[in-house]
Amino acid sequence: MRWLGAFLVLSGAAFLLGDYHNDVYRKMLLWVTLALGYNFLFGICGQVSFSHFAFYGIGAYSVVILLFQLHVPLPLAILLGVAVCIVVALAVAIPATRLEGFYLALATLALAQLFVVLLNEGGDITGGTGGIANYRLPAMLGLQIRGPWYTGVIVFLLLLTLWVLVKLDRSWFGRACRAVRDNPEAAAAMGIDVARTRVAAFTLTSALAGVAGMVYAFVDNTVNPPIFGLENAFLLLFMVIVGGSGRHAGAVIGAVLLFLLPFWLSPLVGHHHVLVFGVLMLAAILLQPKGLIGLWDQCRHRFSR
Amino acid sequence: MQDFLELAVSATASGCVYGLIALAYLLMIRPTGIINFAVGEWAMVAAFGGYVLLTQHELPYPLGMGIVLAFMLLVGWVTERIAVRPLVEKGAGVLAPILALLGVLVITREIISVSFPPDPLPVPFAVDIQYYKYFVIGITLAVFVAAWLFFEKTVWGRSFEAVALNRRAAALMGINLSRVTAFSFAGGAAVAGLGGLLVAPNISAHYLMGVPLAIQGFTALVIGGVGRVEGALLGGLLLAFAEQFTIRYAPIPGGFAQGVPLLFLMIFLIMRPTGLLKARA
Repeated sequence: MRWLGAFLVLSGAAFLLGDYHNDVYRKMLLWVTLALGYNFLFGICGQVSFSHFAFYGIGAYSVVILLFQLHVPLPLAILLGVAVCIVVALAVAIPATRLEGFYLALATLALAQLFVVLLNEGGDITGGTGGIANYRLPAMLGLQIRGPWYTGVIVFLLLLTLWVLVKLDRSWFGRACRAVRDNPEAAAAMGIDVARTRVAAFTLTSALAGVAGMVYAFVDNTVNPPIFGLENAFLLLFMVIVGGSGRHAGAVIGAVLLFLLPFWLSPLVGHHHVLVFGVLMLAAILLQPKGLIGLWDQCRHRFSR
Repeated sequence: MQDFLELAVSATASGCVYGLIALAYLLMIRPTGIINFAVGEWAMVAAFGGYVLLTQHELPYPLGMGIVLAFMLLVGWVTERIAVRPLVEKGAGVLAPILALLGVLVITREIISVSFPPDPLPVPFAVDIQYYKYFVIGITLAVFVAAWLFFEKTVWGRSFEAVALNRRAAALMGINLSRVTAFSFAGGAAVAGLGGLLVAPNISAHYLMGVPLAIQGFTALVIGGVGRVEGALLGGLLLAFAEQFTIRYAPIPGGFAQGVPLLFLMIFLIMRPTGLLKARA
């Protein structure tokens, strides 16, 4: 019931906004979706990955290529797109998580960069540096979803992601992830298969990012390499850290704040808002490792006493 | 044959630069376990230092280089003070400083991009362009010999090794951990800066030059292994040869050649994460 209410409120808001604000709103919702998934991987399972945004891109590109170059029907294209994400995620995660330490971060960093190289050099398949543009979401059951109605699809995606992650977080799997994050040796001693938990968390969140990417592909009706570069992967990490890693609410706050910050800051600092992000991120790690949500908890604690 | 030799020399020269960046990583990873991706940005800062001192103010090369390297020592030391030491003192794990240094990376790059025009800026060659490759190779060899002597022959270098092997035991033996950390960051910044300054005449100083250098240097480090100083140079050379020979001889479009170091990185991480050279017992 609460989920339905949230769906109605969040997607209803889209009908009150103009075209421009609707566009900003949708992108914000997509960022929140990504941040939630990344938070599960980084905040809850303790894995640093730089490929989350690459999977967003893999999802977007694969659905577009499947639909408009191979002329696969939409439902099949979506399934195949998810399958591509899962296969790539497994191929990276299985060897990388066998190793201790920071290796997943490095392997995913290489993957993210490699993905952009492939996009740029993909010729007709990926459209090269210009990407692919000028396509439209195919009609489903005779309906052409567009405008604020498409925002409803994004809200649905966001809530579905959140629902899946909350359920998982509260299940044995979420607890296993937290145990693996805090102390892998102890977790292994408790009978948790550490490597398998890591691979599962990585694959799951990467697939979620891929699905978000598929939805994104029809927001601007264009996909091109710069969107899926390393910059945004960093931004995602910053969002989760600034908001408060390990908490769903933290991911939401971080994503909304860092997404909207450039709009507020642009009169003051122009295009140099990334500098502010860096400072915020450094301040968060040094002063309040639990992020803004931790700060909020502290305030509430102080007042309730 | 002529062509081949020229290619080999130029691959050696760029391998030397990768090796220097790898050495910068290594100086910090050995005693602290911290992977500092900001080394690429440090190289970039030094390249811009070269632009300001050598191009704008036309200082003589050795003087300009000395000032830049001294400045880089300071940059490394300040970074350690701000972003690493507070976290280590709080007892945070190794991940927290790595993330904090990512913040430093972004801040450094943005400060440079605010302060300088966005176009690539020229940095002069130290010697005639014909001989510049040999100059790069010579300087790099000197740095590596010095680093090797430092680690193998001096008490200070041995104390670095001791910290790398066992922090607690080293601290109990009277080694000042925070001094070793500070020194390793200052040294890492200076070595990375040297790499940036040497590569700058070829690729020009640009605020986006850091991340590719950071990745190439890291790949070199992974290939060579973090255990030994020579590994960094070996890794750099192997990477550069692989890169340049694919561009020259392999029948694939030039853009794909950018993917070569990345493929190398993934393959080595997966197949041989300890690198080619084993650490000495």
